[in-house]
Amino acid sequence: MAPDQKKGVNGGNKPKPPSGAGGAPGQSAKDRSRAQSRPISTKAPTGKSGQAGGAVGGKGGNTPRPGGRPAPQPPPRRFSGALMAWSAVGLVIVVVVVLVIVKVAGGGSGSGSLAYTPVVAAPPAVVHDVTTIPTSVYNTVGVTFPSAAQPVSAPIKLSGQAPLTLEGKSPAMLYYGAEYCPYCAAERWSVVAALSRFGTWSGLKTTASSHTDVYAETHTFSFHGATYTSPYLTLATVEQYSNVPLASGGYTILENPTKEEQAVIDAGQKYIPNATPGSIGFPFINIGNVAIISGATYNPGILSGLSWSDIAGGLDDPTNPVTQSIVGTANYITAAVCKSTKQAPASVCMSPGVKAADKSL
Amino acid sequence: MNTIRWQPIATLVLSLFGLGVAIYLTITHFSPHALVCVKNSTFNCEKVTTSPQSEIFGIPVAMLGLFYFVPMIALCLPVAWRSTDRRVHLARLILAITGVGMIIYLLIAELFLIKAICLWCSSVHIVTFILFVIIVTATPLVLTPRHPTDGYDETYEGV
Repeated sequence: MAPDQKKGVNGGNKPKPPSGAGGAPGQSAKDRSRAQSRPISTKAPTGKSGQAGGAVGGKGGNTPRPGGRPAPQPPPRRFSGALMAWSAVGLVIVVVVVLVIVKVAGGGSGSGSLAYTPVVAAPPAVVHDVTTIPTSVYNTVGVTFPSAAQPVSAPIKLSGQAPLTLEGKSPAMLYYGAEYCPYCAAERWSVVAALSRFGTWSGLKTTASSHTDVYAETHTFSFHGATYTSPYLTLATVEQYSNVPLASGGYTILENPTKEEQAVIDAGQKYIPNATPGSIGFPFINIGNVAIISGATYNPGILSGLSWSDIAGGLDDPTNPVTQSIVGTANYITAAVCKSTKQAPASVCMSPGVKAADKSL
Repeated sequence: MNTIRWQPIATLVLSLFGLGVAIYLTITHFSPHALVCVKNSTFNCEKVTTSPQSEIFGIPVAMLGLFYFVPMIALCLPVAWRSTDRRVHLARLILAITGVGMIIYLLIAELFLIKAICLWCSSVHIVTFILFVIIVTATPLVLTPRHPTDGYDETYEGV
């Protein structure tokens, strides 16, 4: 033990072991500095000092600077900034850990991830509002969309194709989607509205998209089990998956496309930009081989938080952004159907709203 | 060691990384299909970046990230760490505290409201937390003179 350290521990306490604060003989300058700046620091803690924490005392402001300049006066002890800083860090860590524990212990992922909106018969008032949108609304909206941030996209135009035939009937239209799919949820509102101008829906159901996917719980219809009759057009609908989640992931299967429908889906894939071979996104809609819709033509987020009644009830207001999105897309679909039906019925196909959409096709 | 050695470079690199991710998330906020991310029952970036919580007062959270990291980069430049102006160090400290407060809010939103985790967002959260740790622990060192006659920059053994 260095002799000068022994001098520093006059209080009679046992000297600290070499690994402690005591210096080696080669560190005499540093030891001298320490002896000047904190002469009592080598004493064992007595418990009566306010600086009982050894680590805090060791990090105190009186460690000699490299230049070895003797400190004339040791700075007065005060609540350590470092202690405050690390306390703040610790507090943040505790808050985050508590949040994670509450989440895990609360089982939020259990019931939440398996929740879904049941498929039930659509309220007659909702069906009425969607299938009887005033012609003036279609004509006023045309292909107006709410804003540059909420555009309504035109379908993908096909040219030189033979009219689509399904089950020996032509012209035909194929809808391929899934009940969990939020983009399908948005698109169904427009499909129901547009096709109601050519025929009659029955057995429509209401439901909502997945509770855990993007644009969660977007309220919509389901075509599974619904029928559509029209003197102008044949419609085939495939809702391949339900919105009922499986514990293992994915959703229960409702129905698969027939071979004929699958061939239409496969053939349409080459017209979809960035489509991955062998897979196609929901929804896929082929309108008489005149146009294709892949994905949503408008942002499903615009329907966020709106009930079926909210959405349907606003469809008589052409200034409503939701109405503009739904009716704008419906006009595009109507224009494509009119091409496949050779502009029949004229009362629909010659209307200003449809003609405005037709220019984009 | 009561000196600032590695903190300026570390905070600058972290801020630049955070800015890069914030730019990417801002772009994908407006084009969700451009977002490349793991998607399963726990992780779903698109669900998070298109959720109602992805905007605060109409401003995308990703854009708020830009507003956070741009000044943070300026405040984490070595010249800023060497500054003798207390306000520079306090501004950096306040920004770091604001950032960590924001990530706690966003973590609550992801866990309990959106019920999905965005990995890109989480990387920004981690960067923001590390920035907070470095800045909060380094700021007392640069603000406290080691000697009555010392200036603040005496604690900086710069890069």
